[in-house]
Amino acid sequence: MNSKLKETILNPILKGNPITVLVLGICSSLAVTVELKGALVMALSVTIVTGLSSLICSLIRNTIPNRVRIIIQLVVVALMVILVDQFLKAFEATYSIDKQLSVYIGLIITNCIVMGRIEAFALGNKPIPSLLDGLASGVGYGLILIIVAFFRELFGSGTLFGFPVLSAIGYTNNGLVILPPMALILLGCIIWAHRSFDKDLQEK
Amino acid sequence: MNTNSNTYTVIYTTLVCVLVAAVLAFVSQTLGPKQAANEKAETISQILTAAQFGEKEHWKEIGNAETIKFFEENLAGEPVITSTSQLKALNYKIKDGSEDLELPVYTFKNGTIVLPVYGAGLWGPVWGYIALNSDCRTIAGAYFDHESETPGLGGKIKDDPSFRAQFAGKVIDFEDVKPFNIVKGGAPEGKQNAIDAITGATMTSKGLDAAINTWLKAYDVELAQFFAAISEETEENVTIEEETSDEQ
Repeated sequence: MNSKLKETILNPILKGNPITVLVLGICSSLAVTVELKGALVMALSVTIVTGLSSLICSLIRNTIPNRVRIIIQLVVVALMVILVDQFLKAFEATYSIDKQLSVYIGLIITNCIVMGRIEAFALGNKPIPSLLDGLASGVGYGLILIIVAFFRELFGSGTLFGFPVLSAIGYTNNGLVILPPMALILLGCIIWAHRSFDKDLQEK
Repeated sequence: MNTNSNTYTVIYTTLVCVLVAAVLAFVSQTLGPKQAANEKAETISQILTAAQFGEKEHWKEIGNAETIKFFEENLAGEPVITSTSQLKALNYKIKDGSEDLELPVYTFKNGTIVLPVYGAGLWGPVWGYIALNSDCRTIAGAYFDHESETPGLGGKIKDDPSFRAQFAGKVIDFEDVKPFNIVKGGAPEGKQNAIDAITGATMTSKGLDAAINTWLKAYDVELAQFFAAISEETEENVTIEEETSDEQ
């Protein structure tokens, strides 16, 4: 049981990482990784949404009519996303980040990771493992987001979390790094590194 | 129980929707005032930044309540002037049904006047605030924001302090074809109503230029009258003061 739980938590972060292995959620990871702060808030939001919607869907999994299960899942996910958005807007500290992330918080609804985990895991498992699986998927997604954002903020704006690092020693900002194509190139590099590190991921 | 029957499906989906709607309505009601306060403080901090009372980060640091308090203490009334005819004369499209368009002008106790402007950038709306000195011609400062301009290019209207800094000290010329110019390739030397556009962000610069000029023109007549009213008031004050000093 213990090793099974461990597997549930570690799999979405490493061997089954939503971005580098399943290649899901690419769109939002291009859009919100310009700055670390935004990426961190996005990572937390996705983690909360995947975790709680997996939990709720798992709790009601035996009552959901099979023909409308996707719609019910969507309603649950939409509820969680709107709640997260409302709370981000309500607090002074997160208001400006929510403004900066604008539509991408709302677009978590369409993030394939959320629906994918509910459909593949939560509907067939008990609530607690489902919650952990959802949270771990969000962490796996957020981890990649933060790695990409680290490089993009460092080389694009010369700062980390808004504090000058490279810009303090006279670095000229690289405009390409700020634009979405660079996120795609960085993601490619991360996938490459991940696959060469983990031989199981390579197709024969 | 047969979870696949039509009756069950209809009742189940209806219940879920009603439940979710109730939760959302409750949360929206509870958090509504806080969100409104955040929005208000955001607008106010942009106005204050334009009016050179302090940088944007400063207002974020001191918090919503203090920002709003400072704004209200320093505001010398909030005259709203209506000017639809003026806009129609400029062929500015006005939404159907609005007879009079309200143009707010924020006046501060130190004489600074802040005008909101808005228009279209490359990817979405751009807006901002232009602060004028009490002569209604010299620009004291400006602040701009945008919804979705390209970061690092058009986004510089907000993020690059050196772009905003160009506005300070410039003089609007209503006699010119355009009262204010954002010039691609650099403003001509010595031209008092022109600044440099942003390299690589031609469309955003053009959009901002159009936004500023549309609204400056719309404000023109009202500002003249408004300024006249202010100067009359101050002159009256001065004469009264002189009289009282004579008596002493």
